[in-house]
Amino acid sequence: MSAASGDGQGEPNQDADRLFELPPELAIDTEIARRVLVDFIRNQLRQAGFSRGLLGLSGGIDSALVAFLTAQAIGPKNLLCVLMPYRTSSPESVEHARLVVERLGCESDLVDISAMVDGYFGRDGNPGAGGEAVREAAPLRRGNLMARERMCVLYDRSVAWGGLVVGTGNKTESLIGYTTLFGDSACAFNPIGDLYKSQVRQVAAAIGVPEPIIRKAPSADLWPGQTDEVEAGFTYPELDRLLFWMIDKRRTDDELSAMGFPGPTVERVKRLVATSEFKRQVPPVAKLGPRTTGVDYLYPRRRPGSART
Amino acid sequence: MQPLRIALAQLAPRLGVLEENLARHRELLAQARAAGAGLVVFPELGLTGYQLQDLAAEVAMRKDDPRLLGLASDTKGLSAVVSFVEEADDHRLFIAAALLEDGDVRFVHRKLFLPTYGLFDERRFFAAGDRLRTVDSRLGVKLGIAICEDFWHLGVPETLALDGAQLLINVSSSPGRDLAAIHEVGLGTAASWRTLMRTYAQLTTSFVIFCNRVGMDETISFWGGSEVIAPSGDAVFTAPLFDEGLYTVDIELGDVRRERIGLPLLRDERPELHLRELRRILAHRTGLEIDEASEPDEGGGTPPPAKRATGGREKRP
Repeated sequence: MSAASGDGQGEPNQDADRLFELPPELAIDTEIARRVLVDFIRNQLRQAGFSRGLLGLSGGIDSALVAFLTAQAIGPKNLLCVLMPYRTSSPESVEHARLVVERLGCESDLVDISAMVDGYFGRDGNPGAGGEAVREAAPLRRGNLMARERMCVLYDRSVAWGGLVVGTGNKTESLIGYTTLFGDSACAFNPIGDLYKSQVRQVAAAIGVPEPIIRKAPSADLWPGQTDEVEAGFTYPELDRLLFWMIDKRRTDDELSAMGFPGPTVERVKRLVATSEFKRQVPPVAKLGPRTTGVDYLYPRRRPGSART
Repeated sequence: MQPLRIALAQLAPRLGVLEENLARHRELLAQARAAGAGLVVFPELGLTGYQLQDLAAEVAMRKDDPRLLGLASDTKGLSAVVSFVEEADDHRLFIAAALLEDGDVRFVHRKLFLPTYGLFDERRFFAAGDRLRTVDSRLGVKLGIAICEDFWHLGVPETLALDGAQLLINVSSSPGRDLAAIHEVGLGTAASWRTLMRTYAQLTTSFVIFCNRVGMDETISFWGGSEVIAPSGDAVFTAPLFDEGLYTVDIELGDVRRERIGLPLLRDERPELHLRELRRILAHRTGLEIDEASEPDEGGGTPPPAKRATGGREKRP
């Protein structure tokens, strides 16, 4: 662990536009965003009675940005970054995660989840706890289990660390449902859930996230060579622009078409958004009694007496 | 004329923690007094926090609540605008702003417009006020007090000014949103509010005093940026975005007279014309038959509008 710059500050990147493509309508005031998000993290923790946080640091830009923001909010010594590679994860992912830890001077921990995942699916021809039937499970199932094992590790470590799990999912992936329910989306609160990927890149560049992390192709790294954009079939700037006009600016299909978005892409993205609605909401409860949580029992999450004492 | 020193208490209330917020108000009142302020303005629901939901009933106070009277007792020789959840005799809950002066609760304004759209859900938890009145203050001028969304309806500042207000006070809990680089201040909400307040100050030739809170309730952040705008429409003072603080600013009340002599917009207002046209519009919207497209004294063939208006109570098909 290095003490390079222990205040959670990196060097802002002056030529951000050279690092990534930013659709002009998605450009935000990064200083206001940074300020609001740092306050948000500090408030969420304080109101819950905590002064520490932890997160899964993948080596990608989303968790790197959240690590930088959290370090600024509560100080790097109150932040635990947990690196959780699987045996097929790209070695570059761990290298990049270490780069963030060094830059921030925060606490870190490495948990290899291979034994947990292989323990269920089996390995080298030997069945695991899941039995014969899951040995040849599709990459999607394996990826989901990895994401959920990471969640288990984080929530277990959160007890020993005495901190809350900080979420690292962005608005783009949330809207199209490119997340694992109760896996990577599980957290106590999520600072970047209302930032599109393009905006994550913008804030990351402004706050000093190391350049190789900003520059590389986003990947869930659930299997070798996987990248988000290949899997999805469109680039983040395209997708972000479409989601922005469709959702934030309420443009109709005809209007989107007139703006040059291809009909089939619009259809496909609309379907992704609609079919993933369930991932963005708490599970529904059947209304029976006079007052039902989430229906007509409506209290702020943080109210007098709600904090851990 | 002695300048009036205004203190803007751009604070971050603790959600639902009434006692702590009361103590903070008393502390800031004392600080403002020590700084020589004559008028201290606190933000909307500064005593309770904004995102109350079902907590609203638990933090509500009647306007004779000893806790509110205790706060008022700190205002000897001072004017203060504070905001809280008011419970009426019939147990309706209102978002209220009170003028405290010389130890008394002098006046209570109940929020007229309750936003219930987008991120807002006020109408679910609160009743809307029905009265828009100015109040005489110990400062020697009439005050017009409004709460946040009230100022997104043109008629409110206009009516207050026509009723004699020279200081228009808006207390707000405005959530920051629409973060975009294209806006003057990087935040759409702040840019819109700034446009409104300058416009109202200029068109009503009055001072506009805006106090907006900071801090966060749950997921929403409040952007502060409290302001005082002169009757000319120029900003006298702009508080920083997001920073908590007690900001003082001096104004010359004589600027109202100077502006109104030089730019007699209020003199030239024609409320009777408004009233006549509003009656017609209202009749139309509520289904009462009136159809007058021309000036009242034109085209002698048609009956005078007053007669048509009173006689025209038949329902539209």
